[in-house]
Amino acid sequence: MGKATVIPFGPQHPVLPEPLHLDLVVEDEKVIEAVPQIGFIHRGLEKLVETRDYNQFIYVAERICGICAFGHSMGYAETVEKLMGVEIPERAEYLRVIWHELSRIHSHVLWMGLAADAFGYESLFMHCWRLRERVLDIFEKTTGGRVIFSVVKVGGVVRDIDDAMFAEIKRVLEGIKDDYKQLCGAFLNDSSVKNRTVGVGYISPEDAFGLSMVGPFARASNVNNDVRCLGNGGYGKLSDFQPVLDTQGDCYARVKVRALEVLQSIDIIEEMIAKIPAGDIAVDVKGSPAAGAEAANLVEQPRGECYYYARGNGSKYLERMRMRTPTSQNLAGMATALAGCDLADVNMIVLTIDPCISCTER
Amino acid sequence: MALETTFVPIELEGILPLSAEKKAQGWRFVQIMAVNTEAGIDLIYSFMKDGLLENYEVKGLQRDAVVPSITGDFLEAFVFENETHDLFGVTIEGIAIDFGGSFYALAQKEPMTVISPAQKAARDKAKKVAAAKAAKEAGTGGEAAGEKAELDAKLADMDPEKAAKVRAALEAKMKKEAAAKQAATDEKIANLDPEKAAKVKAAMEAKAAREKAKAAEAAAQKEGE
Repeated sequence: MGKATVIPFGPQHPVLPEPLHLDLVVEDEKVIEAVPQIGFIHRGLEKLVETRDYNQFIYVAERICGICAFGHSMGYAETVEKLMGVEIPERAEYLRVIWHELSRIHSHVLWMGLAADAFGYESLFMHCWRLRERVLDIFEKTTGGRVIFSVVKVGGVVRDIDDAMFAEIKRVLEGIKDDYKQLCGAFLNDSSVKNRTVGVGYISPEDAFGLSMVGPFARASNVNNDVRCLGNGGYGKLSDFQPVLDTQGDCYARVKVRALEVLQSIDIIEEMIAKIPAGDIAVDVKGSPAAGAEAANLVEQPRGECYYYARGNGSKYLERMRMRTPTSQNLAGMATALAGCDLADVNMIVLTIDPCISCTER
Repeated sequence: MALETTFVPIELEGILPLSAEKKAQGWRFVQIMAVNTEAGIDLIYSFMKDGLLENYEVKGLQRDAVVPSITGDFLEAFVFENETHDLFGVTIEGIAIDFGGSFYALAQKEPMTVISPAQKAARDKAKKVAAAKAAKEAGTGGEAAGEKAELDAKLADMDPEKAAKVRAALEAKMKKEAAAKQAATDEKIANLDPEKAAKVKAAMEAKAAREKAKAAEAAAQKEGE
């Protein structure tokens, strides 16, 4: 056994799109302990709730993250609606689910591209991102934006989608499905990819549950923390929702869960399009949240469960708005997955939790 | 199974037993957060099981309070405990991975405890609106006060210079309206038979005296309360 050495990993590292620092305690080539640290890009967005009223803050909420932008605006709006006892039209609930699931597809395919880049398959990375462009085109046509959409408001949504556009979305998704299945073949069947992922960064179901892990990271260890199962909003209208679970608990399982969730999201969108009722897309929301009133809410973002909390003070400004993002919940799980791994596998394990530091620090 | 959320108040001493109980019963840790209030810091601990999201609130923590860490039961809470310490200045003892105040690189210490002018204005406005409502509900005599408090609340958000101008304009308008009303009444009386005019004048003076006495009585009653 060699001498223990501490190797700093990040905050600037080729595999990390965002600044995360790890102190890796290694003996020879084995990591025996990993201590994560964040805190390089804290922006104080939660504090901004004091200077933006509850309608304006939605534009701040969706700027928390460039990937989960829609999810954050939806989560924030749902929480304020809960706080003020607002019931939104059914059509708005369906539209929110459609955009949210499109965000999940774009987030997972983006992540698969980054993972391919991390294990050295640059052409696979480009194929993934090319496919993702088609989802971004749908966003552009339906919302006017490719990253920040600004289509959610407290009380519903601000834009509708007409039947012709729904037909086009279905046609594009059908095309994506075929190409995507080919990509999945490379991720799930290629022997050199499997060499980098199978058996790497194992987390047992007991650890995953004990560390309260969320999202695909937990579902790959057979822990179902998918809050879509609770049927909030439009998710309650799905005929049958079964979360994608795997028992293997390693990097391969995490790739597989995300790969299958993309196909599941396409099915959800198709079902929502088939069932969407006609009607209004928003209701007028008047008044201010009562002083001391509080509400908490959960939304399943692409990376996992996100917690929202709002407290009113009797004015149109909220007293407090809080978002707890999935990455902050998964940091302890990531440190556990890193303990005992090879130094060369650290980048793969870190990537498979799909860390989003902008979300985490807000 | 739908998401159900509850808010339960607890004492500071109840945090550790609560955390141990939740761990033993198979609950999942969700988050810890803080809220800066006028009475102190509120801490909220959230746990989840079977679609039930329970939020436990410790209200009004003072600066010298020491909060025990729950990382012995839920290691993943270290992120939130370090965050609460760095952003709100809450002292948390025994964190499994303690960054000692350097978890976040901040330009200002405990930034979430700074009460911004915007937040102060929002709180003052909310108080005035509540006072206006209470005054309105109190009935006669309170109505004018209620309207005044409501106006004050509306002006609270404005730039002070602009607010002063608006207030002056409103006062001038009210004076002008009162003068016009008085002039119209005088004109009406002037056109009457002198005997009838004297009777009307006397009735109006008596009414004014009654209203004055009623207002004085209401004020005395309020003081007595």
